[in-house]
Amino acid sequence: MSELRFQALSHAELTQVSASFRAGNHVLIGSERDGTGTLIALAAGTLEPAKGQVLLDGVAPWSNARARQRIASFCAEESLLPARDVAGAVALALHARGDARSALSVLDSAGLAHFATQRVAALAGREARAIALCIALSHREPTLLALHEPLSVVGIIQEDFVLQTLASFGKAGAIVLSSANRLEDAARLGGTESALERGLWFASAQARPALASITLRIHTPEPRRLAARLSEAPDVSGVEWAGGQELLVHGSELERLAHSVVANARAEAIRITALKQDSPPLEALAAARAGLAQAYYERTRSMGNAVRQP
Amino acid sequence: MSGVGVGWALARERLRGLSAALILLLSAGAAFVIGVLERRSDARSAPDDILSGTVFGIALPLLAYLVSERACDGKRLERSVDGVARYGTNRRAALLGVLLASALYTALAGALLTIAALLGAHAWHSSSLSADLRASVGIALITGVVYALYFGAASLLGKRGTGRKWALIIDFVLGAGSSALAAPWPRAHVRNLLGGEPVVALSQASAWLALGAIGVVCVTLSVLRTTE
Repeated sequence: MSELRFQALSHAELTQVSASFRAGNHVLIGSERDGTGTLIALAAGTLEPAKGQVLLDGVAPWSNARARQRIASFCAEESLLPARDVAGAVALALHARGDARSALSVLDSAGLAHFATQRVAALAGREARAIALCIALSHREPTLLALHEPLSVVGIIQEDFVLQTLASFGKAGAIVLSSANRLEDAARLGGTESALERGLWFASAQARPALASITLRIHTPEPRRLAARLSEAPDVSGVEWAGGQELLVHGSELERLAHSVVANARAEAIRITALKQDSPPLEALAAARAGLAQAYYERTRSMGNAVRQP
Repeated sequence: MSGVGVGWALARERLRGLSAALILLLSAGAAFVIGVLERRSDARSAPDDILSGTVFGIALPLLAYLVSERACDGKRLERSVDGVARYGTNRRAALLGVLLASALYTALAGALLTIAALLGAHAWHSSSLSADLRASVGIALITGVVYALYFGAASLLGKRGTGRKWALIIDFVLGAGSSALAAPWPRAHVRNLLGGEPVVALSQASAWLALGAIGVVCVTLSVLRTTE
């Protein structure tokens, strides 16, 4: 059975990631800032690990062309290969993979045939990513699918097509490793969940509680201005304003969210008259944070023990 | 399609475009006009002057540099094939394809510049025109190939292949001499082939060999320094 293994992997945001994945569907919860994009690129063999190893069936994909040929990847940063039109770019990618199918048939299977004659330079960023996902999902017999936020291009590609293709690959014995920033996306992708939090990897048992969505209720005399400012803040996943002086601000981590709200209000000289946390209740949040802290503590202790042992 | 073929196709797509053709045509036009001006100034030395000065001294190295920069997409040589390597193409094979395409484009561009320059520098009914064309086009072809391989290998250095720029400057500065310091650089041997001052008293036959050796060393270095 195939196995993807990360061994003491440190690269950019990632710190000492050690994990292994076998055939089936796996979801990695976390944002790009947590290192999901980097981990997917390393798994796909498009990045050389600065420290540690990435092994697919015992072989490093970065330095082995045959291993890379068995990988279907969809990375955080995607640009199509140079060509006159989209069909040309897809055809070159298929040639590079040793796939004799026509570009049109591959695009058609994902419902993207209408892009075939479009110039590559004329594609919007999301459209180019959708084509890249289509190329990845067209792989005939992948051992590994390493996909960064595959549901981010839903709307251009049908969600059912993506989910059904991933499920069928998982059942066929491939390792399907997808990342998801939103818990709803992770739930839709299904499979075993693990998480990355600021570069630290947490196994499935520790992944879920700490990453629950958090909502802050903010009262301010200038809700419109504050909402506009917060809608661009990286730690804020959503802002709701139903009129009046109250704003609902959503995010994934209490401290960062609260800090972001206060910092943005201060930067715009906007007064906040009240700031309180909405559901989930404080107890649940405290439990979640305690769970994360416990996991972090145990992880640090086990690493310390490993160092002390001869 | 083999890995070399994929690399070739990748470089061909990067090199295609109106701007590349326009630059080549403008360069050829400029070489012709300078050739005509040289002939009006001194008809006997015009062909030698235009070849050793404008064509092989300035235009061809610059064109080779620009072709290499574009074929590598402004990146390091081995990074320039990452786009196809992710799909399972061997980086070394793809890199050979990229080098092959840039060598062919540079050689053809060099030949075109040489023809344009000689047509300008020679009188239309000159008896020496055809012989000069045969000899010079041969030199242009090998010079184009060697410069492409030279800039390709230099692209292995620097964060975004900035080694290319240094290679151009070093070739201009050190290749202009005739001491042993000039021996590793293409310019010195090209000058010898054109009838100029030889490097450390090497014969013209040795200059062909030296250029070939520089090309082989550059390809070998490029392949060896690249991960599969």
